[in-house]
Order: sequence, then C-alpha cells, then structure tokens
Amino acid sequence: MELLLSKFSTLNHKQLAALDKKYGWSLNLLELEAAQRYFKKLKREPTRGELETIAQTWSEHCKHKTFSGPVKFRSGRKVKRYKNLFKETIVKATRRLNKQWCLSVFKDNAGVVEFGAGGKWALAFKAETHNHPCALEPYGGAETGVGGVVRDIMGVGLGAKPVLNTDIFCFGRLDSKMKLPKNALGARRIFDGVVEGVRDYGNRMGIPTAAGAVVFDDGYALNPLVFVGCAGIIPRDKIHKKVSPGELIVVIGGSTGRDGIHGATFSSANIAEDTSNSAVQIGHALNEKKALDVLLKARDKNLYSAVTDCGAGGFSSAIGELASECGAIVELEKAELKDTAIEPWEIWVSESQERMVFAVPPKNLKRLAEIADGENCGYCVLGRFTGDNKLRVTFKGESVVALDNAFLHGGIPNYEKNAVFLSPATCNLPPKKIKKPYHQVLKSILSHPNVCSRRSIVSQYDHEVQGGTVVKPFVGPGQNGPSDAAVIWPQAATGDMKDFSGFAAAHGINPAVGRINPYLMALYAADEAVRNLLCVGADITRTALLDNFCAGSPKDPQVMGGLVLAAEGCYAAAMGYGAPFISGKDSFYNQSTDAAGRQYPVPLTLLISAVAPVEDIRKSFSMNLKRPGNPIYLAGTARKGMGGSIYNELYPSGNNALSGLDIKDSFKLYKALLSAMRSGYVMAAHDISDGGFAAAAAEMAFGGDFGADLCPELCFAESGISETELLFGESPSRLLLEVDKKSESDFLSLVSSLQVAKAGYVNNRAELIIINARGKELVKEKNAGLLACWERDLL
Amino acid sequence: MKRPKALILRGSATNCDIETANAFAYAGACSDLAHINEFLSGKKSVLDYDILAFPGGFSYGDDISAGKIFSVKLEKIAAGLEKFIKDKRPVIGICNGFQIMVKAGLLPQNKGRARTATLFTNDCGHFLAKWIKLKVNTKSPCIFTRGLPSEIELPMAHGEGKFITRDSKTLATILKNNLHVLTYADNPNGSMADIAGICCVCGTVFGLMPHPERNFFSWQHPDRKKVKEALAVGYQFFKNAVEYVR
Repeated sequence: MELLLSKFSTLNHKQLAALDKKYGWSLNLLELEAAQRYFKKLKREPTRGELETIAQTWSEHCKHKTFSGPVKFRSGRKVKRYKNLFKETIVKATRRLNKQWCLSVFKDNAGVVEFGAGGKWALAFKAETHNHPCALEPYGGAETGVGGVVRDIMGVGLGAKPVLNTDIFCFGRLDSKMKLPKNALGARRIFDGVVEGVRDYGNRMGIPTAAGAVVFDDGYALNPLVFVGCAGIIPRDKIHKKVSPGELIVVIGGSTGRDGIHGATFSSANIAEDTSNSAVQIGHALNEKKALDVLLKARDKNLYSAVTDCGAGGFSSAIGELASECGAIVELEKAELKDTAIEPWEIWVSESQERMVFAVPPKNLKRLAEIADGENCGYCVLGRFTGDNKLRVTFKGESVVALDNAFLHGGIPNYEKNAVFLSPATCNLPPKKIKKPYHQVLKSILSHPNVCSRRSIVSQYDHEVQGGTVVKPFVGPGQNGPSDAAVIWPQAATGDMKDFSGFAAAHGINPAVGRINPYLMALYAADEAVRNLLCVGADITRTALLDNFCAGSPKDPQVMGGLVLAAEGCYAAAMGYGAPFISGKDSFYNQSTDAAGRQYPVPLTLLISAVAPVEDIRKSFSMNLKRPGNPIYLAGTARKGMGGSIYNELYPSGNNALSGLDIKDSFKLYKALLSAMRSGYVMAAHDISDGGFAAAAAEMAFGGDFGADLCPELCFAESGISETELLFGESPSRLLLEVDKKSESDFLSLVSSLQVAKAGYVNNRAELIIINARGKELVKEKNAGLLACWERDLL
Repeated sequence: MKRPKALILRGSATNCDIETANAFAYAGACSDLAHINEFLSGKKSVLDYDILAFPGGFSYGDDISAGKIFSVKLEKIAAGLEKFIKDKRPVIGICNGFQIMVKAGLLPQNKGRARTATLFTNDCGHFLAKWIKLKVNTKSPCIFTRGLPSEIELPMAHGEGKFITRDSKTLATILKNNLHVLTYADNPNGSMADIAGICCVCGTVFGLMPHPERNFFSWQHPDRKKVKEALAVGYQFFKNAVEYVR
C-alpha cells in the first residue's frame, strides 16, 4: 500500500478504491480524483498525513456533504432540484425569520441566542449524535458523546459555561425477539452501557442532565441513536472569535494517543461485522473539567482571541478550522503524548478526548500557563497562526502536511443525490373494536416502554447540580409527575441569585410517524417541542430550535426522499411557529450489514430540540394536578387517525392515518394559553402525546395527590371520531390545563374564540374517571393502580 | 455588620462550588472560592477565614474512592485546619465535602484524626439523585441546623453515601452524644443508623450527604404548589453559620 501511496496521482479507479478501503478514509471516487488533480498540479505525491487531513476535513461528520449537497427529488411526475438542501430548507427559514435575538447561527460550534434581561448574557445550545461509537462500545461511546458536545459549548465564541445536558436515546426493544448478526451487541447491553456512560461523564462534569427521552423500536436494534445536547451561558460580548497571524496555537487538557483514529471518517461508513473499535475514543471527565475551569478563568481575563474544541478529526479539524482564514505552522513533536509508538500523522488526526485549542497572543502565554498550572491542567504550544493561508505541519522538521486552505476547505466535489419517496399505504377506516376494556388498555399503554417512567435512568443523573434545575424531570409532592420540559435557572453561571431569568428546554421526536409521513414527522416533532415549552410557562414566541437527523445510507434514494420531506417539514414548522433553527447536525450511514449482506438501516429519525426563555423562573409551571374542585380544560381539537400511536403498536387498529396539523391555528391557541398562564389563571399544564388523552390525564393525576373526573367527548373533536381515537389517539396540538376555579371566567374570556373546552374537574379521591357523553364509565381507576403500571423498572 | 469570610475550598472537579459560594454570599458572608493548590503552595492560609466549606462534586474524579485524593492533600495543611477547628470556627462538608472530611479523619471526631468511618458505595450499587425526607435531631449540638423543624426535605445526589463506622463503639459514641444531626426517614443507601449527617461534640464541624444549597429557595422544590415563602430550609444552614460567627 505504501507503494500505491507513492504513485497516488497515477492510480486508476480500482486502485484508488482499494487504497481508500485499506486506510479507512471513506472518501468517494470523485473526492479521490479531486485530490489526485490537486497533487498533479503541485507536481508531487501526497504524504499519508495529507490524505488523512483531506479525509477528515471532507468527512460526512465535518462537512455534512449529504445534507448541504445537491439533491434531485422525484415525487410522481414532479421533480424538484436542490443545490443545497440544508440551505434551501432549514437555513432559509432562519434567514427569512431574521430574529434579532438570534446572535450566531449555523457558523460556530453551537447556536447562540440572547439570554435574560439587560443584554449581559447569551445562551448557546447544541445537540450532537454519537451513534456509531455507541453501537460498538456503548459506555465509552456515550461518555465521549457527552464530552464532545460539552466541548462544543466550551468552544462556542470564546467559551460558554455548560448549564444543562440533554440526552435522547433510540434503542432496540429490551424484549426484542430479533435475531442479531454475529458480534452485534444486544439491546440490554447497549442500554445499560449508554446510561452509565452519560451518568459517569455528566455527573463528573457537574452539569445537570435534566431533559431527555428514550424511544424503543427494533429499527434501532443494531444501530442505536444517542443524541447528546448541551446548553451553556456566555457573556454577550464574548460570542465571537477571531484568529490573528502571529498568535500561538495552545492546546490544553488531555494528552494525545492512538485512541479514536478515524472517528470522523468512520461515521461516513456503514457498520460491518469487522468494523474496528479502535475508532472509539476513551473519555476521562476529570481532564475535561480541568480544561473547563482553565478556560473560564482565562476567558474572563481575556487571555485568548479564539478557541475551538478537538472533536472529530482531532488537531487536523480544530487547527484546520481556526486556521482556515489565515494559515498555520504546527510542530507535532511539541504535543503532549500518552503513547510513544504514535506516528506523526496519527498525532495529527487522533481524536483523543478533552483537548481544547486556543489562539493566544504571545504576551498572554505566561498568564495562561499559570492558570493551567494552578488547575493541574496540561498544556502545550503546538505552533503559531500565520497569514499565508497555508497549513504546514511538521514533525522534527519533516513535512507531514503542506496544503492550501483554498483546496482543503473549498475543493470538495459534490454530486447530485437522487431522492424519491414512496408513501406507505394508509388506511383511515375507524379503528377496529377490541374486547379489552378501556381501563386495561390505559394500563397497558402506561406500562409500554415508550410511555412508562424513566425514573431508573433519570435518578442516576445528577439533574440538580448547579442548584438551578427549577422544573425537574419529576415534579409533584411524590415526584411522580413526568415533566414536559426542564426549566434552568443558571445562577452558577451568572453568579447572581437576584436575577430570575431562566430558560426551558424540551424535545420532540416521533420515528413512528416518520415511517408513515416524514413531512408530518417534522411538524409533529416541532409542535410537541413547542407545546412542551409552553407547559412550563416558557415564552414560546421566542423559541429556538435544533435539528438532528439520523438516517441510513444517503445512497438509497428512499432515504434521501424521506430526508427531503422532513427538511421541508422543518421549514414549514419554523416559519409557522416563528421559531428559527440555530444549529443542527446530521448523521448518516446508521446502517448495519450482516454476514449475508442484509442491510439494517434505522428508520429516518428527526429530533427537534427547543429552548425558550422563562422570564421569571419563580413563576414556572409543573404538570401535576394541584387543587380539588378546579376545572380541567382541553385545548385543541382531537382528530381522527391512529397512525404512529402507542395504541397501534399494542392493538393494531387497522387505521394508520395521520391527521394534518394547522400550525397557524395551533400557534394562535398556544399564544392565548401563554397569556392565560402569565395572568395566573392556570395551575398546571400537560401536553397530550404518547398514549393520548387518557395517558396525559393519568400522568397529571398520579403526578399529584388528586384525581380527575373527565369527559373528553364534551371537548372539540373532529366529527365522527371514535372513542378509541378520543381516548388514545395522538393527534397533535392538544394540551390539558388545570384552571384556577377563581379565575375561570377570566380564563374563558381570554380563550373564548378558541378551541378550548371544559373536560371536567379535579377530584379529591385520587381516582381517574373518564366517561362518555351518555355518562357511561370508560375508565375508572385509582391513581395508585395507574402509577404502579407506569412505574415499571426499565433497568 | 461585619461580613464573615467564608472559604469555599475546591480541588479539580469539585463542582458544587459556585452554588455553595452563592449560598454563603446570600446568607451574609463574603465568599472566596479557592483551589486547594493555593493553600498547598502557601499562597493562602485557611486561618484567614471565619468559615470553611468543602463543597460537593467529584473531586479528582473520585478516583480511588470518593474524596480520597482531596483528603490526602489536606494532610499538608493539617496544622492550620486543626487550629481552625480548635478555634470553633464553623466547618461544613456537603456530599463530596463530607466524604473528604470523613476520609481525612475530621469526622467522626477523634483525637488522633484517625479514620474511624467511611462513606461506601450505596446499597443499590450506583449513583442516586432524588429528594428525600430527613429527620433533624433537635438535641444535636450542631450549630448549622439550629432552628430547623424536626423533619425537612433535601435532595441527595451521590454514589458513595453509605455511612459505616469502623466499630460499634464509634457508632455508639455518635448516637450517645446526639452527633447524628440528620437521619434518613427512608434510608436510600444503607447507612448505619440511617445517618445522613454528623457533627463534632461542640457542633461546629458538620458533614452531610444531602444538599442544603439545592433547597435554598422555595422554587427549587419539586412540588411547586408549596411555594409561598422565598427562602427554604437550606438557607437556614448557611445563615446559622454566618450568625454564629458574628
């Protein structure tokens, strides 16, 4: 192979492909040919280090070439072409909305929006995936996933202080009967490892993990999805970075070894039985905490002018990125190493964890070094930034890399991908009648793995460190109520206990809907995220969104078709809710091949994360019922269709239709409800999602000490809707609200023209009773019985 | 009135330091957040402070065992600490801070500062974070818990909180002298005698596993209907220390 490398510019297609496979670059032929042309022009052959640098920089992980590339979408006879799918959907919405409170979008390690009153602070938010590593080594993959997204927040602008971690997992079912290929890890092993990894890293970093979700579906049995998010607080005047020639390249944190070689390029490949797990990095939270402490101190003393994290691609990406508009000289022998057998190019691309790269004016080096020493944090000066727009990397005088920025950052060729979408057949006949009584259906829904309590996971996370988790994952007197969103009061970041500004974070994810209609999946996910924020009293007129897409191979036109539709859904949702996307990430090739060559792609999955300000955290809302005698209102209209519901998974109803979503109507409704909440008319709010009306009502009841007497048939509903759909249908845009009896008339005058109707009352019997309009009891169950079903242990 | 100086002593990966400093500042102290390295190098001295707090977290990653590395570092400033305690200046260790104090032999109190107890892995085998009910021993000499009701709620968040003494005599001494300041109403980790926090005989040296700084204001409580007063029971712990010094 060394021989092939020395003749790189003359290789034919077959030889290029063999070389790529051998070295694991995951470059395609177009890209390899572009590299050939570049070196022909230079009249020399590349070094291993140069091709490694190109592979890292052009990887799916770093470049997002699929999403930001051209696509040809065919739907029936119609053809729609995109030059850059991402820019023409998600980014377009942000540009058109042009919100003044968006301070930095899509260009840095995280999106940044205004935070709090007085213009002193800003909020950074980012979510990442760490799917491929978690499939191979769940504990290490999850740990380094958390570590990585935390470093994104540390590396945004001049560095933010992380104040909230979020985690969303998609796993195969723990009771799966699926036969797994050789070497694949079982769902239980992945689940335990990932939870422990998130726990051990997040807890040691001192960041509350207070928002998340878990979805079980056999589509993820071989390729788990692990979304890790982080929000941080940053001074408003520190959100931009600028490297100047002559500044030193200073690395702080962990030392460099051979762990995580090719992590970035490996995320551009499907997982096969022989995939090496040396591509997974090894985490050590203590080093990252030290780096964070050094960074915040140095930031506040203005000791550096730019920072970024070493993530995928290691130094090659971090330094390459910082030097992309100026150039750099790097001397690799100066790196702190933890492995003496390491090759120079390996130092350059190693993804060893917990390293941050700074651009430091030489006069500040001594003071930065003092801070690092004071925190027992390692550091080294690796070189300097130049002004010649060249990236030159040496090891003891020998050239490892000498590339032009223009080629490295602008030379990637792209090709048009084909996209089609064949919708599955939908059936909108009334749901089949079953013999099982409704109260038993409700109990089986509450104990379904996608609905039941996440206590065994959440209680392993320190969700209250920093003393600012105001709305916690579990609320109510017995902490039995599952919150819709987390509310964070970042007193440990602002240091100000008299400033009550906070923010709420929530999610929407629904792959079961995506299987039927990817466009609606995006609408539903955004709607659920916004509704969740509303339930805790956040200002939903200032919602900022993150998109995280996960899919199989983009070479499959059907995968690309789903992606196009979901991206268009994101555009529509962002415009409708006036909620710009501020950052996002995509992960492809979540697909496994077994020995027989069978393909196992994940279902197209879109996670929408959302943040919105909470002006006064003291006035945020929890979802449990508060006082007997208070009326309970149902906001929104129940619509027909059981598609994507938990009910359908348990009792296939024959109906897989999805109702549409009128964003304009929904947003108008939510805004009115927000004003009712702010006026003090509302005591509790909870969204109707997984398990439908009955499950939401049950959660509100056992979340507190009280029960409820309800009749959903008296509320707004599509005509001809069945009892099954009323009780267990999951049509979007609906909430349950407990209204203060004393303010009921004021509440009604605020929502009079909207689809809000009384569903019943809070009772003091700790019992849930649901009747139909004729007075027939559909559900009659004690809170304790419902809670017992919901509180089944997952771990 | 004089603002007493509170030292919030941290090491690498101590991570409840800022909210603890905020809590002391709010209660009327002047908080100084400082790294143990500054004391090991002689740049600072604990004797320049009126109150000492070991905050929670995962000091030095809790490598070896929780709080162990930090406790070894304390040996180098043992003389200053000894005088600080002898002067009856208040010392509090919260969660990882309590683990550090126990592993340094500061608690349970004994003459030679020998280790007579430990905080071991929870019976459930892993980290556990939840709100719990605690009984306050109103007969205890502890200055931090003065004026508290007989039952309070605080959140706990630890993996190694099971309090075990070396021998039955150590436990008997604690119980006899009412040094068990806080006990769990529903033991979450397997601690002997349900112990959640202990103090020294004169009540100025106190360590506890739960987090009073996280129930400092009423809006930090999971049951929002109870929000009436702004300040919650956790405030009292810090206020008591400040008033004691004044």
